[in-house]
Amino acid sequence: MLQNSPKVGHSSHVVTLDVRPQLLNALSALRDRVAAARFPLPLAGAPRARASRDELLAQLDDYLVPRLRDPEAPLLAVVGGSTGAGKSTLVNSLVGRRVSEAGVLRPTTRTPVLVCHPEDHHWFSGMRVLPDLTRVWVAQQDPTDDLLLPGENPARVLRVETAETLPPGLALLDAPDIDSLVSDNRVLAAELICAADIWIMVTTAARYADAVPWHMLRTAKEYDVTLVTVLDRVPHQVVAEVSRQYGALLTKAGLGQVPRFTVPELPESAWGGGLLPASAVAQLRTWLVHQVQDPAARQQVMARTAHGVLDSLKSRMPELAGAAAAQYAAALRLTAAVDGAYDSEHTRVRGRLQAGAVLAGDALKRWRAFPLDCTAGELLDALVESLSTLLLCAVTAADERIDDAWRREPAAAAPGLADREPAAESAEHRIGLAVRRWRRELEEYAEDEVRELDRNLAPDPELVAALVATSLLGGRRGRMAGEGLAERIGAHGALRLRDRAGRLLAEHVDRVLHVERERRLAPLDALDVHPEPQAELIAALSVLQKER
Amino acid sequence: MTAVTDQDHTERADQPGDADKAGAAENPPSKASGNASGTACGNASPNASEGESVDDARAHARVPDGDSSSRRDPRADPRTDSRTDPRTDSSGTWDDGLIARRVDETTGGNQYAVMDSRTAAPPTVSPLVYDGPLRSRLEALRELVGLSRTRLDSRTLAEAGRVLDEASARRRLSGQHTVVAIAGATGSGKSQLFNALAGVAISETGVRRPTTAAPIACSWSDGAASLIERLGIPPRLRRRPLPTGDGDSQLRGLVLIDLPDHDSAAVQHREHVDRILALVDAVIWVVDPEKYADAVLHERYLRPMAAHAEIMFVVLNQIDRLPGEAAEQVLDDLRRLLDEDGIALGEYGEPGTTVLALSGLTGDGVGELREALGQFVAERAAPARRISADVDIAAARLWPVYATQRRTGLSEQAREEFADRLADAVGATAAGEAAERAWLRNANRACGTPWLRLWRWYQDRGEPTTGRLPSRTQADEEATARQRVEQAVRTVADRASAGLPTPWAQAVREAAVRGSQGLPEALDELSVRAGVPTGRPPRPGWWPMAVLVQASMTILQFLGGLWLLGQIVGVMSPNLGVPVLLMVIGIVGGPLIEWGCRMAARGPARRYGLEAERRLREAAAGCGRARVLDPVAAELLRYREVREQYGRVVGAGS
Repeated sequence: MLQNSPKVGHSSHVVTLDVRPQLLNALSALRDRVAAARFPLPLAGAPRARASRDELLAQLDDYLVPRLRDPEAPLLAVVGGSTGAGKSTLVNSLVGRRVSEAGVLRPTTRTPVLVCHPEDHHWFSGMRVLPDLTRVWVAQQDPTDDLLLPGENPARVLRVETAETLPPGLALLDAPDIDSLVSDNRVLAAELICAADIWIMVTTAARYADAVPWHMLRTAKEYDVTLVTVLDRVPHQVVAEVSRQYGALLTKAGLGQVPRFTVPELPESAWGGGLLPASAVAQLRTWLVHQVQDPAARQQVMARTAHGVLDSLKSRMPELAGAAAAQYAAALRLTAAVDGAYDSEHTRVRGRLQAGAVLAGDALKRWRAFPLDCTAGELLDALVESLSTLLLCAVTAADERIDDAWRREPAAAAPGLADREPAAESAEHRIGLAVRRWRRELEEYAEDEVRELDRNLAPDPELVAALVATSLLGGRRGRMAGEGLAERIGAHGALRLRDRAGRLLAEHVDRVLHVERERRLAPLDALDVHPEPQAELIAALSVLQKER
Repeated sequence: MTAVTDQDHTERADQPGDADKAGAAENPPSKASGNASGTACGNASPNASEGESVDDARAHARVPDGDSSSRRDPRADPRTDSRTDPRTDSSGTWDDGLIARRVDETTGGNQYAVMDSRTAAPPTVSPLVYDGPLRSRLEALRELVGLSRTRLDSRTLAEAGRVLDEASARRRLSGQHTVVAIAGATGSGKSQLFNALAGVAISETGVRRPTTAAPIACSWSDGAASLIERLGIPPRLRRRPLPTGDGDSQLRGLVLIDLPDHDSAAVQHREHVDRILALVDAVIWVVDPEKYADAVLHERYLRPMAAHAEIMFVVLNQIDRLPGEAAEQVLDDLRRLLDEDGIALGEYGEPGTTVLALSGLTGDGVGELREALGQFVAERAAPARRISADVDIAAARLWPVYATQRRTGLSEQAREEFADRLADAVGATAAGEAAERAWLRNANRACGTPWLRLWRWYQDRGEPTTGRLPSRTQADEEATARQRVEQAVRTVADRASAGLPTPWAQAVREAAVRGSQGLPEALDELSVRAGVPTGRPPRPGWWPMAVLVQASMTILQFLGGLWLLGQIVGVMSPNLGVPVLLMVIGIVGGPLIEWGCRMAARGPARRYGLEAERRLREAAAGCGRARVLDPVAAELLRYREVREQYGRVVGAGS
């Protein structure tokens, strides 16, 4: 389909049916990929990527897919421009009837209005194009607003009007201002313009150098769409002058070939909301009618815009893919910060355990007093508490390091990552539980060992447990405990018990740190940033390129 | 200026001339249209001779401002340079000849302006004086910046620094002048209004967009040269208004700046506007019926400047293009939009933005603006108001780095918890308990029955030793639990920094961490010094007595036993009662005494243990206070000071 470039030829069968299914499939696959792309991390390029994703999606849904599916559908010409450029007046004048409200208060057009020939009504009444917009129909005599149902977003409504005066096969859409104060309107305007076969950019004598319309013109050039500019509201004294200057600006921007129409400012133009005389817009009307009624011209108009949009995918998809890759890279950096912090804390904890840091402070004093002035239970209590403090300390230190590292990452400001609830208490609670479980299991091991001794003078299991714990956690200082243990239950048993307890300890410590790390990573995982979208977007694009 | 009317017939005659000259400088003829007439008649007829225009230029154009004329180089002297100044001809934006001739033709009093600048008394520029509250706010802001420079990054403070710089720069300059900029979108009629206020076509108007490329200044009285200098407007773009007696006195002290547009595709125009808007005392926003609702105007300029409402005028120009009551409607809509932007409107005598409708073309409403402007300038309050609003904005921007959500500071409870954690780290509780038990054990041993002691001694001999005996003598390395110290410091830092703005919280945390370096080692050392002294605990005075009684009880047992033995042997007369009684007293009394002693020893043992614990705890707490709590408290104090300064910056404004 659309094999012929608009410049080469325009046979009436430019759109061939045989390739179309594959192309459409490729296109809808691409559409799904674009729809699935998410940019949750607030990176520098993310808002732009999000906007261009929405824009691209809208253009695919509103224009490209329906256009390729139904090449015989009427051409849609969207009238866009700045506030007060006289878009509505222009549409009204082209139609010859007041279909869109014009006035002096800005912004005038809040609800986009689509005008078409009654025969074409069925093309637009369904959700074929602009599926996001709710359709409303109003009686022709009712030009005022208040046609919205309560609760309906006024910006997401499309009013469909019919007029006999328009030639069949042409639909005009009066879009809201592209620089409206209402940002929803701006977005909608851009979306509507992107849905057009013919872009009609309206500017005025006072505005033709404004920055905002020029952005639009540059976009039109980038997409290589069928573009018409209308220089509206030009006082007749300066027509030649302004028109010349505007032409010069257009030529400078590389848009010299664009058809240009000039509409003079007439007393009845905007301020009264009246209609311009037919002669004022005759040129434009003739041009539009020609585009619609001459099959060749029609084909060219359609193919050029469709081609332009398809071509623009070549640069827009890699842009999205790049943004997706940036997202993934940022997520990786965040994850790496977490992993790095927990890994180094894990190493530190292991080192401290080996050095006997747990047998210090309270626990050390208890051990010194053991067994004369201290019971085995008290010694175990002190050791357990000391161990859980060590783990808690490691976890909070890791969190602090992560916070530090994340503060330098713009991506860490994502909702859910930044407003982490202070979880220190619950971490303390979780660690306490884990360490107490370790103690219980240790005591069970000790009981097993003591039961095997099967002697009358078998020592108290709790004493054995305390000695094992001390020898495990005490480092050099705890060596005495090991010797004492060997004396009580035999060297072999002591060694076995110590090994088992050591393995148990390592297991518990690993689990605690792992759980905490996972908890820290959970919100990031929930954002679901993967490397796949990048590859998928590019793949969808290349499939589409192949099908063209 | 899409003017459709054909007014100013009187001006027609002179237009072709200047148009011609402007045309020579690559400008389209219609660019240099007249004062209030946007009518561009492209048929320029060269009726004005070159010589004439230059003569006139010498007379009026480029009149330097009073005080600067003396020190400016001769090149700037109009009498010597008008003819040869290449900039005037090549600038292409503005034609000196036009003004001169127009002044000549419309008033004929072109000498007046020159005389004015020549005969003006030696420049009496009295610098601007800020009133008390503003001065103290600026002072507070300066203090604030100084105090927080080490804590905040320079980017955060840049805005405040800029405001201070501008305030002091403005203060050195004339207080009798008010610099008012005319800003607006392209084609809204800024230059037209500028010319209408000045009474002469100073600034070029035209249909070419954008028209004005560089800002132009116009001063109504002398002494404003340095003010204009500050805006970076070169001397060739400084003008004087048409000296009409009435308007001149009304607007005395006004320095009007015509700005380029802010919304055209020419980016450097926007840069000009942004730069100058930050420096002027007041702004007149010119909007027109077509563009009054432009997003770029409201979102980029009006909303951020809402705090400057008192020094803003919003003027709806080109009302001649609106039919009937539409002008009123549009004006109301404009008011609504401004209200939505958060700009206070100066209605009903309240301070705020003045909103006017006028037509620069027909002159409708220009008088009102002139009047309002005259009153505004006469008040001479604008510079101070502008600076005050700047301070407001800077303060509002600094809000997140100074404001707190709740009460801050280190609570007594947090301090106690910190001490408790440190005590845990050195093991004060355990040490105390151990000391108490050891004391009790010793008491029991001392006051126990000799039989019991004998048995114990025997037991000790058989018992395998645990690790305690040899290790008791060796000095412990790292006796303090590092992790507990670390955790304690972290907790107390978190508590202290809770609710503080991020940079200050960071500073507090850093102070705590810095203080905690070496804390564990200090605690190690201290626990050796303040720990339980090794060797025997002190013995109370009643112990020998108890030992004596215990011994006498044993002697009684022996006595009774011997007596009985003697009776059995037959050495002594048989008397069962007394020896049995003695033995029973001895046997029962010994444990009784032992029990009594244990009861009696409990109290002193407890005291002894508590004393040992207290010693350690206090030493640890003292160490922690000196190393961690004091620096943290100092940091908090510093914050509180800064907060107070900030309150002064903000408070006086509200």
